[in-house]
Amino acid sequence: MESGSILESIGSEIIGVMSPVSICMFLVVLLVYTLSSSSNSSSDPIRTAANLVYVETSSDSTTQKLEGSLLNALVFVILIAAVTFLLVLLYYYNFTSFLKNYMRFSAFFVLGTMGGSIYLTVIQYFSIPVDSITCFVLLFNFTVVGVLSLFSEGFPIFLRQSYMVVLGIIVAAWFTKLPEWTTWTLLVALALYDLVAVLAPGGPLKILVELASSRDGELPALIYEARPVVSRGNQGGRSALGMLVGGVSDSESVEVEMVARGEGSRNRNSGEEYTSVQIESDEIEGESTPLVPNSQERGGLENERRDGQGEISPLLELLGMGDAAGEVREDALDTEMTTSRGIKLGLGDFVFYSVLVGRAAMYDLMTVYACYLAIISGLGCTLILLAVHRQALPALPISIALGIMFYFLTRLIMEPFVVGISTNLMMF
Amino acid sequence: MTVAAGIGYVLIGLGPALALFVALISTKPFLILTLLSSTLLWLITLIVLSGLWSPFLPLETTQLWPFFILLLTSIAFQEAIRILFWTAYRKLEDILDTFADRVSKPRLYHTDKMQIALAGGLGHGLAHAVFFCLSLLTPAFGPATFYVEKCSRMPFFLVSAMIALAFVIIHTFSMVIAFSGFAEQNKVDQMFVPIVHLVAGMLTLVNVASGGCMIGIPMLYLVAFVTLIYCGKMVFRRLTEAGSRQENLS
Repeated sequence: MESGSILESIGSEIIGVMSPVSICMFLVVLLVYTLSSSSNSSSDPIRTAANLVYVETSSDSTTQKLEGSLLNALVFVILIAAVTFLLVLLYYYNFTSFLKNYMRFSAFFVLGTMGGSIYLTVIQYFSIPVDSITCFVLLFNFTVVGVLSLFSEGFPIFLRQSYMVVLGIIVAAWFTKLPEWTTWTLLVALALYDLVAVLAPGGPLKILVELASSRDGELPALIYEARPVVSRGNQGGRSALGMLVGGVSDSESVEVEMVARGEGSRNRNSGEEYTSVQIESDEIEGESTPLVPNSQERGGLENERRDGQGEISPLLELLGMGDAAGEVREDALDTEMTTSRGIKLGLGDFVFYSVLVGRAAMYDLMTVYACYLAIISGLGCTLILLAVHRQALPALPISIALGIMFYFLTRLIMEPFVVGISTNLMMF
Repeated sequence: MTVAAGIGYVLIGLGPALALFVALISTKPFLILTLLSSTLLWLITLIVLSGLWSPFLPLETTQLWPFFILLLTSIAFQEAIRILFWTAYRKLEDILDTFADRVSKPRLYHTDKMQIALAGGLGHGLAHAVFFCLSLLTPAFGPATFYVEKCSRMPFFLVSAMIALAFVIIHTFSMVIAFSGFAEQNKVDQMFVPIVHLVAGMLTLVNVASGGCMIGIPMLYLVAFVTLIYCGKMVFRRLTEAGSRQENLS
């Protein structure tokens, strides 16, 4: 069955997004697990933009915690909203080179300082014998390659994707240091903000996405592109989803970008070391996550104009899925195909999914599995909705809602049941 | 005996499932999605069940009948969910077939259908292993180990990993049997699955008796092997049938 069953093509674009998210979550859980046991001693709460108003201590009463964390979340969301509007404004007036340089700078900073501090903690924890110069050179190389691969052409897409995942891990690992109540309210608030910012008319991310697609430009943000690595299989798969869900007549490829910015989310954490002004300016990219459809006409036009760059035309895509015509076509398209775009997922989604799972990891493994499944299924639902609606969609709300629901269901209801019967060695 | 032991227990419980996943499922995205959704479905059943039973917890270990009822309801519920899963799968199969027609690809082969069933079953099995065994294994990575009174010869983690392995096998292959039974309207296959599940569940009741796990676990493995052999025979029969049918056609 080399070319045979459709099982091999359907859903590959979903997996292309899910696997990096899974890797990111897994590594964050691993990091939280190994490091949280060691760093318990120095657990004085960190001060970041996410808890400007209220610093949670475990001795506070529940109402105090709730009020404080709500305030924190509110302030945080307002900050993000302000910063996103600033970003939209800058983009609107074509300050693109400023934005690009700013993004390079902030990526450098995140990889260097926050990544560096995690790197040092890991070295200390496993007591790896390494001298300071080597350590510094390694870190510097890592950072520079990261910044270059994220923002320049010509690097293998795999490197770019891995650095995106690394960024997500670093930021999420920092976010897991927030106190418990603040984390939960923050996640809820961000999911709501995401919903509003992407879907409401006049929402900053909606404006941004429309601007970007009208200008044919890249979005000024850090986004994970699930580009097809093996052009043919994924190409087929991508259109497969669109056709499967989107209906018969419309066989255009679902070209979608889940755009987002996680960039902003990162430096917020570095509040420990920096003044709040810096933090704010670092947040420039906001952080939620629209899923943006690339304008399909554009794909078609480009296609003809540049001899199939970007997308193959719908008809050819139809043919090109398993027969000779496809192969002939594929030869011609070999290189161009790699530049075509897959689903895009914002780094912010990576971060906040991982934060949720990382927070669950501090309780028990059971909640981790439940949250993982919930988030992944939420992401799956979002992708299916994306194929139906073909417009930018927020990726956070469904996943976060399911994740939080499953966390508490597992923690409060399931765990006593499972532990109770399985310690009696009874299973079914 | 810390990290090594923990990883060892994990691999005892999940090794075969991992092999199946890597060899068969990970190459086909659709099967991964089936696996994930079936895992989620199993988790939801577990949550619903624990919600139903939460008023009665904790159960007294001195009496057997509450556990009996618990296992009975759980298994009945899960078998009902299996039927639900099957109806959902039927709809999906129709969609997939029309889709395959549209892109002028062959429709689902027998093997494809069986692979979908296998992925669904593996999802159930994995969910079982993860929630009943893996999530309790955290302490095994630490310096200590844990014994339960009733089964004092082996560490608790080892016992639960072994039971989890047996259940992974049972769940995985009984789903294949069940799907083929539903597809062919074969009453024997349809009845075989709930009975195996019930027998396996009841055999774990033996573990409540002191030292019972020495008998219960081998018997559980017997059931697992019966499932495996039954499934193997059935798949062989269907494949030869399909093969001869194709020869007749050509």
